[in-house]
Amino acid sequence: MPRGLASVANTELSHQVEGDTLAGALDDLFEREPGLRNHILDEEGRIRPHVSMFVDRDQAGLTAPVRDGAEIQVLNAVSGGRS
Amino acid sequence: MTTIAVGTEKGGYLVEDKGGGWSVTGPNFSGWKVTALGSAPDGTHLAALGSNWYGVGIQRSDDLADWKQVDQPPGWPEGTERKMEQIWTFHTSGDRIWAGVAQAGVFTSDDGGITWVPVDGLNEHPTREHWYPGLGGLCAHRIHIDGPTQWVAISAVGVFRSDDGGVTWEPKNDGIDPVGLPEGAERPEVGYCVHCIAHDPSDPMRIWRQDHSGVYRTYDGGDNWEKIEEGLPASFGFVMWRDRSSGRLLTIPLEASDNRLPVDGRLQVYRSDDDGGHWEVAGTGWRDAPQFTGVLRGAFDGDGEGTFCFGTTGGKLWLTRDNGESWEELDPAFPRIGAIRVIV
Repeated sequence: MPRGLASVANTELSHQVEGDTLAGALDDLFEREPGLRNHILDEEGRIRPHVSMFVDRDQAGLTAPVRDGAEIQVLNAVSGGRS
Repeated sequence: MTTIAVGTEKGGYLVEDKGGGWSVTGPNFSGWKVTALGSAPDGTHLAALGSNWYGVGIQRSDDLADWKQVDQPPGWPEGTERKMEQIWTFHTSGDRIWAGVAQAGVFTSDDGGITWVPVDGLNEHPTREHWYPGLGGLCAHRIHIDGPTQWVAISAVGVFRSDDGGVTWEPKNDGIDPVGLPEGAERPEVGYCVHCIAHDPSDPMRIWRQDHSGVYRTYDGGDNWEKIEEGLPASFGFVMWRDRSSGRLLTIPLEASDNRLPVDGRLQVYRSDDDGGHWEVAGTGWRDAPQFTGVLRGAFDGDGEGTFCFGTTGGKLWLTRDNGESWEELDPAFPRIGAIRVIV
């Protein structure tokens, strides 16, 4: 996950998580690091508008399947125009 | 030693006078906005963070060096369709912390800022369907607590008062000129763009108000407001401060809503020593060169004993240690400043 997110959440850049879907993997992450939920998901439990999730380098929604050994990335979306 | 915590669009900074000049530590929270600064009842320091990507957060620290994020900052429950856009202010009284947020609401914490519960009587107020955001968003930005009597200022909605410990709330804006209404239109219950309020610590029913539509005071807790603008070069602005020890009032006039900068670039604090009956430039030290920069409502703080500091949208700090008789612009420059806290 991005350094700027990990640093304020006092957590590591990488985590080993379990789950058959992206939602399941995130639930496992939030179980271990509850302070990340609010920064990745919005009030309605959706991925934040300016956060992008990738599973094995493909952009993914919460229902995307996650294979054993997959790599999940949290990226801040390119939201240009502001300094 | 004076320590000034500075919240900016790009991180938080500590400015300290250790006797040999000013030192700067930071940025903390790189890349994050620091939108509010405060302290818990036990003295734990609080910082509210915001991000265009990751929403809001609250950090706690015992020493201003090591910070730890709380797991669950104030949040709207699923289904309200409200967004938690920014934490605008902390206010601590007794064993409780209040947080004012956008989209407008107030939350309280009884465990030092670790967990938060909404103040439903205000957040679900019957007038809420008529609350509309101003340029800065729909934000609850000022809170004052005097036991069961409590005030919250929401732009562009108005001041609310509770007389029963926050259970029920009433708008308190009689005498305030509404903004953006045609002449002759019926006076609305809400829709008053309060920018800042400051209470008299010795009599909280006496309040001074910088509003979008001018500068006001009330001596009855907000039941009636009257304009107090004699001597001011402009009636617009975001700052209102009352010094605890001297009773001096301080404000920073800006030209107008459509040009939120000092009149003719003359950045100066104005003071009143007669409860707002008359205003004049506060002391000396102001730059002759034009200063086309503004000051936001959270970017002014004092220790209650004559030391005040404010930060500008241009990233500079101004300080006085003699109750506003002389002012000094500090050398360091920062990103746009939105929050200041003077720590003694």
